[in-house]
Amino acid sequence: MSTIQLKKFEYYEPDTVSEAAELLKEYGGSAQIQAGGIDLIPRLRSGSIKADALVNISNIPGLEEIRYTEGEGYRFGAMTRLRTLDFCPVLKAKYPAVQAAIHQITSVQSKYMGTAVGNLCLATPASDVAPALMAYDAELTIAGTGGERKQKLCDFYLDYRKTSLAQDEFVTGVFIPEPAANAGDAFFNRVRTHADIAKITVAAVVTEKDGVCTDAKIAVGAAAPTVIRIAKAEDLLKGQKIGDDLFMAAAEEAERAVAPISDFRSTAEYRREMTRMLTYRALQEAFERAERSER
Amino acid sequence: MTKFEKSSLLLMLKVNGEEMQALLEGPHVTLADVLRNKLGLTGTKEACRCGECGSCTVLVDGTPMLSCSVLAVAVRGKEITTIEGLAKGGELHPIQQAFIDSGAIQCGFCSPGMILMAKALLEENPDPTELEIKEHIGGNLCRCTGYIKIIEAIQLAAKRMGKGAA
Repeated sequence: MSTIQLKKFEYYEPDTVSEAAELLKEYGGSAQIQAGGIDLIPRLRSGSIKADALVNISNIPGLEEIRYTEGEGYRFGAMTRLRTLDFCPVLKAKYPAVQAAIHQITSVQSKYMGTAVGNLCLATPASDVAPALMAYDAELTIAGTGGERKQKLCDFYLDYRKTSLAQDEFVTGVFIPEPAANAGDAFFNRVRTHADIAKITVAAVVTEKDGVCTDAKIAVGAAAPTVIRIAKAEDLLKGQKIGDDLFMAAAEEAERAVAPISDFRSTAEYRREMTRMLTYRALQEAFERAERSER
Repeated sequence: MTKFEKSSLLLMLKVNGEEMQALLEGPHVTLADVLRNKLGLTGTKEACRCGECGSCTVLVDGTPMLSCSVLAVAVRGKEITTIEGLAKGGELHPIQQAFIDSGAIQCGFCSPGMILMAKALLEENPDPTELEIKEHIGGNLCRCTGYIKIIEAIQLAAKRMGKGAA
């Protein structure tokens, strides 16, 4: 047990997004946004991050909202808890891989407290939520003192635990576009024990027509400094007749695209091999679901 | 906008239906620290203090939260339930009694968190399946019982509480 006490900080509960952004600007990088706090508080305690101020955004109206518009897509806010998403019937019906990625998170308390946006903003390569959202081409809404901007999740990560966020910016919400009617998805990960973070995560979202792949998005976690999309494998799939040989060729591209490390959870070799195997299985499952959903 | 300076503050908290006040060194003090060290409610345990073990679980407005990772100032005005709040008039809560009757308590360190998780589960879902129970206590570590007796205790509590309501 860590006996270290938290260091002192100032604590704010802003009422608006612009107040929060102004605070971030004022503190010039020494303030931290607090949503659920399940990662933030332990990391402040361990000293791996420091803060002169916490900006708790849970009182800002509207940030907990979920809104789904048929034909357009699904939006949720920075304060939407993982638990709410886990039990959202629309998410489960429309974006099953996203719901599966959230559901398999073991700690129920972490899901009651934690937010999906918080998880994304940790910028850990071992996120399960990020690959699923990235495969669905999710887009972030980012607020700062100069206003709002949008950015695709696949462009958000710069390096290990590094995002495109400027000092005065924070993510206020996520938009997941409506999947095509003939889309199918899959989510796979491998863990040491269920309470641990993933050794490797793969998510895929595909569409097919008459046995031909019309679109494919593959995202892999815990196999590079950030969660990544595998563009080469996606390109290889598009326009091709689907089948096991094609899936394996794409899976081999995925294996070549990752740059995993060896650590106490796994070796780089295992992660590379599992990138291939899980990509292969994810494509099998995603296309199977796509074929079933075709009307 | 609400602001708390780095200086000490007097915080009012509603714990187990009672208004309580505590003098904090600043807004950085966690709910677990306030409960245990300021209010003397040591039923709430802290094992890992990094949100991994679930032993510090309390209910905030009925929602299970890890009190080691919650700032006390952030839950002002909310209803906090700790293990001390479950027994009424010297009589144990049916979940507590079921834990004893099922032999689900050995060292007892995980029990407050487990029992509060069980309470949150049974309020939401009075007749959970075994899988639902397992999933619900997935974030609570027990290093003694191997979980089987804890799962049995929650099943027993569900049965007894279901009968009580009928």
